[in-house]
This record gives sequence, C-alpha cells and structure tokens, in this order.
Amino acid sequence: MSHSSTVNSSMNLYLYQLKSLILKEYKEAFRDKRALIVALMMAFMAPVMIVLMSKITIEKLIDEPPIYVNFNGAEYAPKLMEYFADNNLLSLADVPEGDKAIWQQRNITVNIPIDYETDMAQGRPIKLYLQADFTDKAVGSPVRRINNAVRSYSLNIGYKRLLLRGVDVRLLNPITLVEQDTSKPDATFMLISIMLGIYLMLAAFMSGLSVAIDSSAGERERNVLEMLLCQPVSTLQIVLAKLISASTISILGIVLVLGLTSLSVGFVDLTKIGATFTLDISTSLTLLTLLLPICFFASACQLFVAFQTKSFKEAQSTVSILIGIPAFIPFVVSLMDDRPEWLNWLPVAGQSMIIENIFKGVEVNWLAFIATSVVTITITVVLVLALAKKLKSEKVVMALS
Amino acid sequence: MLMVFSKLFSESITMIEVNNLHKSFIDKKDKNNTVKALDGLSFTAKDGEITGILGPNGAGKTTCLRTLYGLLCADEGFATIDGISVTEKPLAARAKLGIFPDKFGLYERLTAYEQIDYFASLHGLSGQTKKQAIAQVIEDLDLSDLAHRKTVGFSQGQRMKVTLAQALVHQPQNFVLDEPTRGLDVMSTRILRDYLAKFKAKGHCILFSSHVMQEVAALCDRVIIVANGKLAAQGTPQELCDLAGETNLEDAFVKLIGTDEGVAA
Repeated sequence: MSHSSTVNSSMNLYLYQLKSLILKEYKEAFRDKRALIVALMMAFMAPVMIVLMSKITIEKLIDEPPIYVNFNGAEYAPKLMEYFADNNLLSLADVPEGDKAIWQQRNITVNIPIDYETDMAQGRPIKLYLQADFTDKAVGSPVRRINNAVRSYSLNIGYKRLLLRGVDVRLLNPITLVEQDTSKPDATFMLISIMLGIYLMLAAFMSGLSVAIDSSAGERERNVLEMLLCQPVSTLQIVLAKLISASTISILGIVLVLGLTSLSVGFVDLTKIGATFTLDISTSLTLLTLLLPICFFASACQLFVAFQTKSFKEAQSTVSILIGIPAFIPFVVSLMDDRPEWLNWLPVAGQSMIIENIFKGVEVNWLAFIATSVVTITITVVLVLALAKKLKSEKVVMALS
Repeated sequence: MLMVFSKLFSESITMIEVNNLHKSFIDKKDKNNTVKALDGLSFTAKDGEITGILGPNGAGKTTCLRTLYGLLCADEGFATIDGISVTEKPLAARAKLGIFPDKFGLYERLTAYEQIDYFASLHGLSGQTKKQAIAQVIEDLDLSDLAHRKTVGFSQGQRMKVTLAQALVHQPQNFVLDEPTRGLDVMSTRILRDYLAKFKAKGHCILFSSHVMQEVAALCDRVIIVANGKLAAQGTPQELCDLAGETNLEDAFVKLIGTDEGVAA
C-alpha cells in the first residue's frame, strides 16, 4: 500500500476495523425504519397492556356491580334498606332501562314481613324470605351478596344487644380462623408482574430479532456476505459487530419497556387493590442489569440459527421458534412448585425467577444473580466463537451461491 | 515505458501464484457423487499484466478464485499472493487483494460513498488518507453524481462501478475479478475495461475470469484456459490461436478444451 496510511499496531487495526463494522451495522439497522418500528412495537405495547389490565382488574375487584332486588315491604324496614343500598343492593324500581329485562327475568324477591318493626323492637326473631330460581347461575352471586348483607346486618344488631346487656361479644367467637395470604401482595398484582416479567423477556428476544436475521441471512440473500468474507477481517470481528448491533436494539427495547411502564403505572391507582407496584429507578436498573446478558444471549442464538439456514424465509420461520423460549420458560417456571436448584443457573429461567422475586418484593439473591449472568454470558461467548468458526467453514461459503 | 518496465520487473517476482490446486466437493450421503472442481490447477499472474482465466461453466473458475480469497481450503496444493500463503495467513493475503466477487450485492440502505468508506476502513485506511483515496476512486470512476445516493435502485452498471470502487479504494497491488462483465451493457463494459487498463499501466496485477471471448481477447495479456479443473493451455491470445491452428480465439478455445460443451453459455 504505497500511498495509504495504515492504522499502525495490529491491535489498533483490529479495533478500528471492528468499529467500522459496528458503525455500518448500526447504519443499516437504524435506517430500516419499518423493521425497527415493528421490532420496538413490543416495547410500546407493554405499558398500554399493563395499564389496561390493571384498570380492568381494579374495576372488577372494587366495584360490586349493582343488584336490583324486588323488595316487598321495603317501607317496614327503612334502616335495613339503607344498609342494602350501601352494599349496592338496590330496588328493582330503580333499575335503568337497559338492564330492566335482565333483572325482571331474574326476579330476585325479598319479602319483609309487616311486623318487622315491632318484632325488631321486641327482640323477636324475624324471618325475611328470599325467592329466586336458585338453579340459575346468574342468580348465585346476587343471592350470596344478599345473604352476606343480611347476615352481617343481623350480627351487628345482635352484637349491640349483647353489649347493652354487658356481655363480651368475643364469647360468640370461641374460634377464629385467621387467613394469612402467602402470595405476596395480591394475586392480581402478581399476575401483572408475572406478565411484565414475561414481557421483558420477550422484549429482549423480539426487539433484536429482525436486525439479527437481516444482518445474517438477509445479507447472504442480498449477495453482500461474500464480499465481506473476502475482506481482511476475521469472522470473529464480523460476528461481534453483528451481535453488538442486534443486541443494542434489544437493549433499547428493554429500556423502552421499563421506562414507559414506570411512567404509565403512575396513571393507575394500584393501591386500591392493595398493590404497591412501583417501578422506581433502582428496580429498573436492577432489571436492566439482569437482562443485559439475556439481550446478548438472545441475539447470539438468533445469529447462530439464522446464519445456518438456507434462505431468509427459512431464517425467519426458524428464528421465530426461538421466541418460544422466553415465553415458555418463565411460564413453566412460575407453575413449578418444587424448583430444582440448577434452574437458578440456566439462562432465561434463572433471570425469570429473579424477576419474579423482585416483583414480589423478596430480597434479590445476588449470588444467583451473578451465577445466572455468568452462565448466560459464557454460553453467549461459546455461541459467538462457534459461529465465528462456522463462518470460516466451506459449508457457509458454498451456501453463498 | 512504464509497461515495459513493469513487465521486465515482474519476470522475477510472481504476484499471484496458484500451484497444483486440488479440490473436491464430497457429498456426505453419496460418496460416488463427488465433484472434482479443481484437479491440479497451476498458473501465475504477474504484475503489470492482465491475466484472464477462461473456461466453460463449471470448469472451476469460481472455485479457484474462492480458494485464492481463502474462502475455500484446497485439498492439495497452495495459493500465494505476493508470496503470502493464503491458507496460512488469510487476512494478510486478503489485505493485498482487491476483490470483485462472483456475486456482488450492495448495502442498499447505505449511500455509495458510505459503502466505499466502509471497505476502505476495513482495509485500515483512516482519516485524511481515507478521504483522499475515496475522492480519487470516485473521480476515476465518474461516480460523483451517485456518491451520496442510497444504492437501492442503482442500475447494473452503477452497481458494478460501486463494487469496483469499493474493491479498489485501497489501491491493492493485486486485483481479482470473477466474471465482472456479467449483465453489463457496452458502455459499462468499456468503463470497466478502461479502468483495468489504467490499473495495469500502474503496474498492478490483474486476474479476471470470464467466458466471453471478445473481452478476453481485447483485454488480456495472457490467457489461462481451464477445463475440468485443470490447466488446458496458457499463453497470449495469439499464442493460443497459433497453438490450436485457428484464426480466432473462440475456435482455438473450443479446440483446446477438447469439447464445445458450455461454450454457448
């Protein structure tokens, strides 16, 4: 090279070439706007999904939907009616036009006797009659709620009577069953956090997917890979550049999911269901650090598979199967009761258990954190080296034409 | 003058040497289905000369050139570039090469300039030197109008120019082209030919494969005829005609490879 200043030391040259390779991969990845948007769609959808899910579950839990009952003799028990109304048990007369047919058909009737007031004043037992078609499933829940309301109203009065006579009400409850819910805060909240955990895994695998396929099988299909393989760069440099480019997009996906979720969670009042779902900066950073190796692992897997397929189409379908891993493993892990120790170490499984613990509010097991990260990184390195070796093989070259 | 000088000079130093290359592609399932692509091929391509590899389809031209880039590994024999063994030091050997491959595509999301810049960087050019080298090659190939356009939608001729530019931006001593005129119109072929002639005049070694007779006859100083993975004949186009006792290269070619199979292609 007569009139070209070459980069001097071989290490510098290696890094300079790598930089040029990465730069080109970035240019191609970020200029393919449509593929990029599709890839990051996942990230944009996560917060929307979480907000929607929380809203729906909160409404379900908080709202006891109004029940319309045909009260006969309501005028005899005004206080009881007030109590019913507080519990959203309303009179059939007040039913809105739209629901009229349904409630008339269900025809739940409560009969209050004429002598309710006098019997109550004199402390005589009163019988209220509840009439409904008990085989009708739709009637089940209203009947239960009426039952509960009457019982607690009745108990209330009973307690007051005993108190007036100087009797300790606790005598009525020799045994009390205390229910302790070991599922940390709330089942619904847990569902949301498990979903978010799976979502984060999926985002790590899906965001970089199109870039990984495009830069491997896509380049071969567009006949640019042969030119690249003929250049004075090692296959390891080529693989590293493509890995870094694809995993950057995947990291971007995760940062977006975390950022947008922590923003959007602020719009939902989760305290109503007893959840303290805060995705604060330190939690987000922990999750990001935990998922970084997964991003590289995912891209390495995808590149490894895509480079070995015969066409772009085959690469797309085969790599899509890989998506099953992040969706399936956390799901299976969350269903397992007795988790074997080695599960902590596996990529994806290990991370998803730590994510689960983070959301449960359990102290992070940093040893497991480091162990699973190291294992994941090791597997990634092995994949990269194997792929670099494979790219030198004649099979890959023969697949060029 | 320069040509005479470089010719004299190159008598002693061989720039591209291929020696007794053997290469078989073995079908793992059916051992009888083995294709012998190269069967003891040897030749040399010298500085300041354009050497043409002529052969029918399937003669082993692309296999030979891919072995030269170090993409394929010969079963037997060796190839050297400026004395550097391709199998032992593939990266060092490739650094001495400019390659116009069998299948050339472009990065369609990059501009022509960015592509040339990319390959220049891979060859270790940087800073002002790189800028100058790119500017030079763009001027030489009359690419300035296209330079800052993305290459998607480029015509075959424009694609050829960009590929040529990215292969030559680092001014390699040796230049290998695998059937470069495929799909080119007359104008583009002329541009390519002129450029190769200029490159030769500067004392570079050019090796290119083709199966187009007129092109080889017009351009090459020496012709290597390959058939069935072997060297069938070599010499100047005139020498080959004399050897076969024919007046034009096409007839000589058919006679020398011993069959007319594949010539029509």
